[in-house]
Amino acid sequence: MWKYILKRLLLLIFTLFLVVTATFFLMQIMPGTPFTNPKLTPEAIAQLKSTYGLDLPLWQQYLNYLIGAAHGDFGISFQYQNQPVSMLIGQRLPISAQLGAQALVVGVIAGLFMGAASARNKNNKIDGTLGIISTLGISIPSFILGIILVYLFGFKWPLFPVSGWGDSFSQTILPTLALAMSPAAITTRFVRSEMIESLSSDYVQLAKAKGLSAKEVVNQHAYRNSMIPVLTLIGPMAAGLLTGSTLIEQIFSIPGIGQQFVLSIPSKDFPVIMGTTIVYSAMLMVMILITDILTAIIDPRVRLQ
Amino acid sequence: MDTWKKVAIGAAAVVVVGGGTRAAGLWGGSSSGSNKNLSFQLPTPIQTLDISKNTDTYSGTIIGNSGSNLMRVDAKGKAKLELAKSVKVSDDGLKYTVVLKNGLKWSDGSKLTAQDFVYSWQRIVDPKTASQYAYLASGVKNADKIAAGKADVDTLGVTAKGNTITFDLERPLPQFEYLLTFSNFMPQKESFVTKEGKKYATTAATSLYSGPYKVEGWNGTNNTFKLIKNDNYWDAKNIKTKQIDVQVVQKPETAVQLYKQGKIDRVSIANTPELYKANKNNKDVTKALEATTAYLQYNQTGKNKFLANAKIREALNLATNRKELTDQVTAGISTPATGLAPQGLAKTDSGEDLAKFVAPGYKFDPKKAATLFQEGLKEVGETKATFTVTSDADSPAAKSTLDYLQGSWEKALPGLKINQKFVPFSQRIKDSQTQNFDIVVSLWGGDYPEGSTYYDIFKTDASNNNGQFKNAAYDAAVNKAESTDALKESARDNDYKVAEAALLKDSNFNPLYFRSGYSLQNPKVTGIILNTTGLNQDWKLAVKK
Repeated sequence: MWKYILKRLLLLIFTLFLVVTATFFLMQIMPGTPFTNPKLTPEAIAQLKSTYGLDLPLWQQYLNYLIGAAHGDFGISFQYQNQPVSMLIGQRLPISAQLGAQALVVGVIAGLFMGAASARNKNNKIDGTLGIISTLGISIPSFILGIILVYLFGFKWPLFPVSGWGDSFSQTILPTLALAMSPAAITTRFVRSEMIESLSSDYVQLAKAKGLSAKEVVNQHAYRNSMIPVLTLIGPMAAGLLTGSTLIEQIFSIPGIGQQFVLSIPSKDFPVIMGTTIVYSAMLMVMILITDILTAIIDPRVRLQ
Repeated sequence: MDTWKKVAIGAAAVVVVGGGTRAAGLWGGSSSGSNKNLSFQLPTPIQTLDISKNTDTYSGTIIGNSGSNLMRVDAKGKAKLELAKSVKVSDDGLKYTVVLKNGLKWSDGSKLTAQDFVYSWQRIVDPKTASQYAYLASGVKNADKIAAGKADVDTLGVTAKGNTITFDLERPLPQFEYLLTFSNFMPQKESFVTKEGKKYATTAATSLYSGPYKVEGWNGTNNTFKLIKNDNYWDAKNIKTKQIDVQVVQKPETAVQLYKQGKIDRVSIANTPELYKANKNNKDVTKALEATTAYLQYNQTGKNKFLANAKIREALNLATNRKELTDQVTAGISTPATGLAPQGLAKTDSGEDLAKFVAPGYKFDPKKAATLFQEGLKEVGETKATFTVTSDADSPAAKSTLDYLQGSWEKALPGLKINQKFVPFSQRIKDSQTQNFDIVVSLWGGDYPEGSTYYDIFKTDASNNNGQFKNAAYDAAVNKAESTDALKESARDNDYKVAEAALLKDSNFNPLYFRSGYSLQNPKVTGIILNTTGLNQDWKLAVKK
C-alpha cells in the first residue's frame, strides 16, 4: 500500500514537471508581451523586460522558473503590481475551496436523498420527477443555472445578495446552489442505480426472508452499501467543481482563483498563468490519487499495483 | 416515504431560519437604508493601491480618491491648487516652482513634506520599480535616462528645499500642470514604502493616504470595501460624506438591477448596445464623455501600393458615413468623430471644446469617393483592389464595425473587396507596430486633457504612427505647439487646428467615432466630478441629500 502511494506520488511530481514545461513553452506562442499598452516606447518595453528577466534566453528563463518553483517562489504578478503569485493564489484559493466544498456537501447530501427516494419509488411519479430533475441538473451548465438563480432570487424575489463574497454568509447561497446542482444530479443517478441493484441482490432478498421490515432492509443493508461507492465519485466531482467554478465566480463577482485565472490570460500575466495551472493540475492529480486509494480501501477487489 | 419527510422538513427549516434571520437583519448585506453613505460600483476588482505602479482605471479611481496631489482638476476641467499654495512657471517654461501649503499631514497624522513628492517622482522613473507609466515623466530632466537605466535616480529634475519643490524640464511641456494632478505622481512617504516592502499598497492597511478619504477593509482580494473620510486631509472641512461603500459587480446587468433596487448610486449602461437601449429612457440617465477616439490607420509604407495612393485613401475616407456607423455599431452611445482629438478631451483658451475647434471637416460623399477611387486605381495601374481590415476580437464593437465598413465601402466603391481579420488585442498591437496590416482599427485614450496626448501619435517616426506616414505640415504644426507655443494656449489651439487640417488633406488616417458612456445616477447624489482623463470619477465633493 505505502509503496503504491509513494510510487503514485513520484509519478505525480513527474506529471507536474511535464505540465510546467508544456505550459511554459506554450505560453511563448501567445502573441505579444504582458506590456501591451501601445503608449510604451520600445525602449520602455525593453527596460521592463529586463527588470522582469524576460530578456534572458528562453532556456534560462525556463531554468530560473523551475528553480524558483521548486523553492515555492512562483514569481511576481505583472497585472497585480507587486503581489507575489503565491500570495495571490494563497488569498484566492481558500475562497474557491470554500465555495467548492459547500457545493459538494450540499450536492452530495441532496443527491443521496434524491437517489434513495428515486430507487425506492422506482418507476412511479416520484422517480420520474427526480429523473427529470437530475437529467436537467446534468445537462444545464452551472452558469446558466447561476443566471436563472440571480434572476429569481436576486431580482424577482430579492431574498439573497447577488454579488460579492466575505461580507455575509447569505452571499454564498446562490453560487453554492448553482454549483451544487451538477454533483447533486450525478449523485442521484449513481445512488439510484446502485440501490436498485442492491435492492434486487441476494443479501437483500435474504434480509427480507429473515422477516426484517422494509424500512430495516433499506436502512441497514441496501442504503449503506449503495452509499459507499459514492465516495469514489467525490474526487472527480471536487476537481470538476474547482475548475468549473470559474464562470460562477465571474457571475457572482467572487474573488476566487478561477476568476483570477481567466483575467490573467488576456493580460499575459505569465507568472499567474503558470502558478494557477500548477495549482489546478496538482489538485486534480491529488484528487485522482485519493479517489484511487479510497476505491481500493472500500472495494478490496480492486488491486493496487 | 420518510426520506421525503426529512427533505421537506429540512427545506422548511432552511426557509424559516433563513427568512427569520434575514428579517431580523442578521445577514448584514448591502441595503443602505436611510443613511447618507454613498454607494458606488466598480466593474472589475482593483489590482493595487501602488501609486507609482498602477495602470488600471478602476484601481486609479480608488487611488485618486484616497490621495491628493499638488493640483486637482475642478468641475470645469481646469487644474486648481490642491496641496500646493502656489505653482509658478518660468518664462521659458523649463522650471516650475511649487510651494506647499502649511501643516499638511498623512492619514496617520505624520507630516507630509516636499520630499515625499520628490521620492514619488523618483520612484516612478526608477527602473527597479518597473512602472509602466514611467513614460509620463518624460520631459522632466533626466527622466528618460533614468528610466533607461543610464542615470542615477538622484539626477532627476525634481528637487525639494524646505517647503518648495522645483521641477526642471528638458523641454516645455504644455500638459505639465495636469501631470501635477495625476494619481501616479501623488506623494509617497519613503519610510513607509520601505517599511512595508513587498507588501506596500497590496492591502488597505499597507497603504498611506493623502487624500479626502482612506481605504478601509480592502485585503487585496475582496470585492467590497469602504472609503472613510480622512480627518487629516487639508480640506477635510469641505468633505461632507463620511463613508463611501464600494463594491465590485462584474456583470453589467446585475449592476443595473442593483441600481434599480437603490443599492448603488451610479452605474454604467454603456457596456452593450442592448443594455443601453433597455435603459436609455430612464429619467436618471447621464452622459459621460470618454476622450477615446476610434480610427482607422492606413498602411502607407508602400507595402500596399493602393493605400500608398492619396486618392484611394481619400476615397475611403469620403465613403465612410460616420453618423450611420456610430448609430449601427454603438446604438448611438458614441459620437461620430470629427478629427483626431476627441470631444471632451480639452477646452481651448476661449473655453470651446478643442475637438470642435480643430475639426477640419470630414465629409461623407460617396459619389466623389467613387470617382477618386477610379482615378486612384488608374494611377497605380489596376482595375480592382482588395484590402484586409484588422481589428481585435476582444472588443464587442469589432465585428459590427468591420461589417459596416465592408458593406458600405464595397457598395460605394466598385472594384473594392474588403476582407475581415480578427486577432486578439495583443496581436493587434503587435501587427500594428510591425506594419503587418492593410487597414487597422485602432483606439486611443488620452492621458491628460491637452492636445499633445493625441497629436504626438502621428509625428514622423513616432512609435504609434503605425501607418508610418510622413506629413511635414503636420510635424511642423505639432512641434511648434510643443516648443514655442507650449505656454501660449490660444496659439497652441491654432497649431492643433493646422495639424488636423494637414491630416485631412493627405487622408493619413480615418477617424470613426468618439467613444462616450451613459450612466444611471441617483438624482440625490451631487458633486461627482467626471474627468475624461486622469481620475475618471472624483468623489471628493460628492454628497447624497
